[in-house]
Amino acid sequence: MAVQLDGGGKDDLKTQFVTREGTYKLMTLSEYSRPNRVGYTNSQGSASVRVSFVTLPDPADPTGAQGLGDRMCFNFGKELYVYVYRGVKKQLFQAVDLNKPVDKKLYKGTNPTCHNFNQTTATADSAPLLVGFSTGQIQLIDPIKKELSKLYNEERLIDKSKVTCIKWVPGSSNLFLVSHSSGQLYLYNEELLCGTTPPHYQPFKSGDGYAIHTCKTKSTRNPLYRWVIGAEGCCINEFAFSPCGSNLAVVSQDGFLRVFHYDTMELVGSARSYFGGFLCVCWSPDGRYVVVGGEDDLVTIWSFNEKRVVARGQGHHSWVSVVAFDPYTTSYGDHDPDFSGSDDESMPHTNHNNHFHEKPNRLSTVSQGIHSNRNSCGSELRVSGGTCYRLGSVSQDTQLCLWDITEDVLRPPVSAKQRTSTAGSGTFSSSGTFTSGNGATSNHNSNNAKHNNLNNIGFKESASGNNESSNNSISTNAAVSTVNSLTQRLAGLGFGERKGDNHKRNFSLTMRGSGTSNNAIQNNSGEKSGSNSNSSNSNSVGGGLGTNKKSGGTMDDPMRLIGTAWCPRFDECPVLEPLVCKKLAHERLTELVFREDCFVTACQDGYVYTWARPGHMVGPLTISSTLHRPHHHTNPHTNANSNRPNDL
Amino acid sequence: MCVNNGRNMLLRMSLRLVFNLHIQFQGANISQLERDIGSDQFPPNEHYFGLVNFGNTCYSNSVLQALYFCRPFREKVLEYKARNKRTKETLLTCLADLFYSIATQKKKVGSIAPKKFIARLRKEKEEFDNYMQQDAHEFLNFLINHINEIILAERNQSRPAGGKGGAGDAGSPPEPTWVHEIFQGILTSETRCLNCETVSSKDEDFFDLQVDVDQNTSITHCLKCFSNTETLCSDNKFKCDHCSSYQEAQKRMRVKKLPMILALHLKRFKYVEQYNRHIKVSHRVVFPLELRLFNTSDDAVNPDRLYDLVAVVIHCGSGPNRGHYISIVKSHGFWLLFDDDMVDKIDAATIEDFYGLTSDIQKSSETGYILFYQSRDCS
Repeated sequence: MAVQLDGGGKDDLKTQFVTREGTYKLMTLSEYSRPNRVGYTNSQGSASVRVSFVTLPDPADPTGAQGLGDRMCFNFGKELYVYVYRGVKKQLFQAVDLNKPVDKKLYKGTNPTCHNFNQTTATADSAPLLVGFSTGQIQLIDPIKKELSKLYNEERLIDKSKVTCIKWVPGSSNLFLVSHSSGQLYLYNEELLCGTTPPHYQPFKSGDGYAIHTCKTKSTRNPLYRWVIGAEGCCINEFAFSPCGSNLAVVSQDGFLRVFHYDTMELVGSARSYFGGFLCVCWSPDGRYVVVGGEDDLVTIWSFNEKRVVARGQGHHSWVSVVAFDPYTTSYGDHDPDFSGSDDESMPHTNHNNHFHEKPNRLSTVSQGIHSNRNSCGSELRVSGGTCYRLGSVSQDTQLCLWDITEDVLRPPVSAKQRTSTAGSGTFSSSGTFTSGNGATSNHNSNNAKHNNLNNIGFKESASGNNESSNNSISTNAAVSTVNSLTQRLAGLGFGERKGDNHKRNFSLTMRGSGTSNNAIQNNSGEKSGSNSNSSNSNSVGGGLGTNKKSGGTMDDPMRLIGTAWCPRFDECPVLEPLVCKKLAHERLTELVFREDCFVTACQDGYVYTWARPGHMVGPLTISSTLHRPHHHTNPHTNANSNRPNDL
Repeated sequence: MCVNNGRNMLLRMSLRLVFNLHIQFQGANISQLERDIGSDQFPPNEHYFGLVNFGNTCYSNSVLQALYFCRPFREKVLEYKARNKRTKETLLTCLADLFYSIATQKKKVGSIAPKKFIARLRKEKEEFDNYMQQDAHEFLNFLINHINEIILAERNQSRPAGGKGGAGDAGSPPEPTWVHEIFQGILTSETRCLNCETVSSKDEDFFDLQVDVDQNTSITHCLKCFSNTETLCSDNKFKCDHCSSYQEAQKRMRVKKLPMILALHLKRFKYVEQYNRHIKVSHRVVFPLELRLFNTSDDAVNPDRLYDLVAVVIHCGSGPNRGHYISIVKSHGFWLLFDDDMVDKIDAATIEDFYGLTSDIQKSSETGYILFYQSRDCS
């Protein structure tokens, strides 16, 4: 019986929402979808709708600021569409006929799953586009020039499983990387052939949880490299190159984030989900943090420099499908908090590729030199005040969450320590909830406490001994422990403050249980104590990692990773709340791209929405008469050529 | 035969006919299932046997299969079988015989008729003594409690002078049975009187958690909502011992002891006054293969316990008294679908088909109904 049981009505959908920087508005006139669609389409089980952008360099407009040369690609079911994209600006210039895509492809027997334009080689009349398919093949087309069409893994000799993510290697005109649900990642050269026989591989390099092979042939052929990541058959869900292009972050269904140095193929760090697979990954614009989202409904923030999980964000009601930093709302340093507002006009347009910031150096220039080495990967962490990252995430819960992540939360404990004692008194009664965006003083204390928990048996005991500060510890930081147990006492009383506040997760330090969990901690600490005993709070986590690694076998066992830097216990890690959490659609959200004047979301039912940033909304009334809203029932597309199914 | 709705079920039925024919003419032919698994991959000492439907007994078949693949439970039932050679017939002995006969089959795959078990079930409980479709969760609930009572009763018989209390004894809690050890968890309900601010807490046992379902959410979210704070007011005030009167209060329930096997019942049948009957809520609720709980109490013993999904009872169809039950189980790293006497190997990716629907347009759905998560530290 089809009955509307609750919610789900159109009225609860947002067409605009307010954050501290202003009002974001849905651009109802640039709602892209498959033309001529009629009624409800069952999108159950089909591939996620993803969106790719490219900016075509225009000799007449070298900055690209007019946005006339943007093209957008999205997939839906068996179809792939490429449109001219003008985002917010389109109404100023020339209406985009949403019924007339630049290119359109309909595939037979397979679905496009992901795609990526080559920004490096794009010209005014050419934009190489890679498309991956559910049956494993890869196609290279040029939707503008239209003459290019190459196939890779055509006979599925290399991999039969679904392509899950495809990206050009940063800055390369011919190399691209493809991940499959089989758990393998291949490097292809666009100019090479794939051969008529299955490739024979020889081991090239291997490490903890991964192995890399090369193709064993006389003449060079595709794939150039095969990376096998995680256990056999463990789906790679997404990967992302760091802004500088030298590191590669890979997330898999086994719940691991693995970060590699791309050129040396060394594993440089990893993290484990609280539970379930990791589904999406992105880098902060400065390359210092990797954010992952997954089946634990959390966004997890991992520090590249410290190689540890530094915070988790809780706000989604279902699995997180995309995470993306908003480089235009991320501000650096104390002195220019309005950096985004003043400078984004001059931001290069090449940033539009999701997850990949093409010109990272640009950022350091505008942030006034102070953090000029921020983009050099692997550089030592610099302590700077007031940096605030803006992160967005979309989920299967149909909601968008925006998060403000301040350095206070992410700050390594050594710098927080000094401020703990002063922060101690006034801020505790609020039971230590982090609200992202205003998490200032109270954060230091909790952050510090977390580190004590990780490494300090004594503190843990005093915490779990039900709020008594019977601190029999070897702690070098007894004062902090006492302050913290005061926090716990207050947090314990905080029950009443939580009324009706279901997804405001309290980051209370009230420790759980004394029995098993305590034992677990002791064991854990026992294992590590050798290397930890004389290391300072700030880096003992890293020391712990080293020990664990050497003792072997822990790497893929989540039971043993809990309580470590890979996967802190839930109450040992700061928990962020979203700045805003808005229901934007009726269907699962599958894409999120931040652009200069807007952000773009896509939905499982094949709609691509544009949301104007505050101050970027162009009054639609002035020109709306020239625009056509897509007529869903008329104007059948006449391009016979593009209506024909494409055989792979 | 069950009342089937939807094309998938019809397809399955026709497949079943073919399958039955195949059974009749079987010879040395190896089954499709064995071929799918591969003879070298087939786990030793494992048997995949479908259960014959005796007229709307799929609610029982689906639950029995799920329980059979909850390893700790199967082992205890077989242990019971080995220990109790000559006792009078109970539902537990029937279950033990059924499990034993599956576990000792010569063939690796096939089907078996749980005739004795169903007959006993119909004798034990009036509600099941008919040919109507029953609620799989009600059956699971009855079965677990009933088995537990049988064990307690037998324990009392063997120690008549011991005086250790039975199930309902208010005094010192009875020594836990293996049913407790496997399924029992403890919820702690904290109530805070809004008048005197006193927080009182009370523990209660559970064998499964029953959670409401919301559209486009995860089981994690449903569990969090289960532990949301509710305000007790008007007719539902709380009798505060400290104030010695009824007061408004806030209450929440959190998990204090996490069970070895966490059974989660998704409340998909909702009474709608307008129709004067229960209707099915087909909302899409995703459930991960791995789970931890967020809604544990501060004094929880093992709050980080990590669970693996091992079995799902799935309801197919449009309402509680119509439709069909099947189950999917994980065994030796791969997933199997049990549809009464039919067994198929399925790809883990097809689990997605059982999350539910994002739209109310379709009438019929195949949705996860009872989830069985097994703690990783027990295997």
